Amino acid sequence: MGLLSILKKLRSNTERELRLLLLGLDNAGKTTTLKQLASEDVTQVTPTAGFNIKSVLSSGFKLNVWDIGGQKKIRPYWRNYFENTDVLIYVVDCSDHQRLQETSFELAELLQDEKLRGVPLLVYANKQDLATALPASEVAQHLGLHLIRDRTWQIQACVATDGTGVKEGMEWVCKNIPVKK
Amino acid sequence: MVFFNLWSVIHWYIRPFVKWILRKTTRLCELQRICYGDKPGAQRTCNVENSLKLSHTRDVIEVITFLDAVVLEKRFIPQNFDDVLYPSINIILRAKQINTKLHPKFVPAFRKCLQQIWSYRQLIDDIEELRCTQYDSKNSDHEEKLLKLWSLLQPNELLEDRITKQWQNIGFQGDDPKTDFRGMGLLGLENLLFFAKEYTQVSSHVLSHSQHPKYGYTFAIVGINLTSMAYYLLKDGSAKTYMFNAKHYLPNIDLFHRFYCYLFFEFDKLWIESKPENIMEFSMIFKKFENAIRSQLSDPASVFRINIAIDII
Repeated sequence: MGLLSILKKLRSNTERELRLLLLGLDNAGKTTTLKQLASEDVTQVTPTAGFNIKSVLSSGFKLNVWDIGGQKKIRPYWRNYFENTDVLIYVVDCSDHQRLQETSFELAELLQDEKLRGVPLLVYANKQDLATALPASEVAQHLGLHLIRDRTWQIQACVATDGTGVKEGMEWVCKNIPVKK
Repeated sequence: MVFFNLWSVIHWYIRPFVKWILRKTTRLCELQRICYGDKPGAQRTCNVENSLKLSHTRDVIEVITFLDAVVLEKRFIPQNFDDVLYPSINIILRAKQINTKLHPKFVPAFRKCLQQIWSYRQLIDDIEELRCTQYDSKNSDHEEKLLKLWSLLQPNELLEDRITKQWQNIGFQGDDPKTDFRGMGLLGLENLLFFAKEYTQVSSHVLSHSQHPKYGYTFAIVGINLTSMAYYLLKDGSAKTYMFNAKHYLPNIDLFHRFYCYLFFEFDKLWIESKPENIMEFSMIFKKFENAIRSQLSDPASVFRINIAIDII
């Protein structure tokens, strides 16, 4: 085997890098989800001013996860992070009934954006451990997910604070990455 | 790995030998050499702490265990110092054969070190408890503190409602601050409250910066992130430099608050100097700030004071 073929083989073995964008309203649980993905302590989370970024290895992929603050003042900056996104992850606090409409509106805006066209969507229906949380199916209805025709999507019930469902969501992500040349 | 093993061997066998030689030549034990040779404050206290930690003497180990147990029972407070420290110091004096008549300066210096070391450990416990207390909007005490924070920061503006957009003026995220404290719990609120109460001028100066049309930031949210930073610096021991160099205070909750206020003031200064494009630069500037503070804290001679002069401008 020549040096070149060894190098080629090495190269094909390196993980593919993916860019995941984590969005949602403030207090939805984005940072907690991010920390859960990176197997970090989730009990000392603070509100995100700006953004956090972490790289996680999962099923042979290097996932670069961008967690952008969800506060209303920050939302106009979300657009700056759309470019080259492989998968959009949208986190919803299912116990926050009052802001379901607000979160649907924000999601609808995202889905209309040219830069995010065709990007697969994973919705985390978070905080399922709370008694007042709506089930994932109902949240899907509120968000109008069944009307989406231009991309693959999935809704995953989860509890970011203890990790329930987070891994399942990521497995879906790794299976549904758009093929790139 | 080999180096590490070698190092631990050296530490285990050579250290006592070196200590023995020094003891014979100087006629002083290590604790005395530290208390006489090192400057009071972080340098001396950290070296005493380290020396105690590495000691193989049974009596010393027992004293450490005893003092740690006192902390666990939350009894390491100034009114108990005499009861707790008197016997502890006596045991060590006997174990190290220190004659207090010949060395009258040793006990006060050593005592101060012990007070600082174990007050710091007590403080970690107290802070952890505050942090773990979740903000509860059904708790009237918590609610009162929150409203107090408003009236201190915005003395000329009345809060129209408990749930209102006005909270965003002092940098909370939405209409109700209760969900913003998150993992920092009541500690985040107590920190902000102390800043507004004890440093009224400084905090209103910083708040006005945060409301700057171009370089503004979310005051309360940044404050809660600074609480988190102060908390980690306390827990990993970096804050010892600050706490042990505070001449007039022992490590306690108020001193932690003061440390927080110092961080807030300094962060604000760096933020304004950096002329950030927008709030999205926060993570970067915050990291830069943390690194700068860490390097300052790593020098035991650092003294930290809020430079109030700037406040007048």
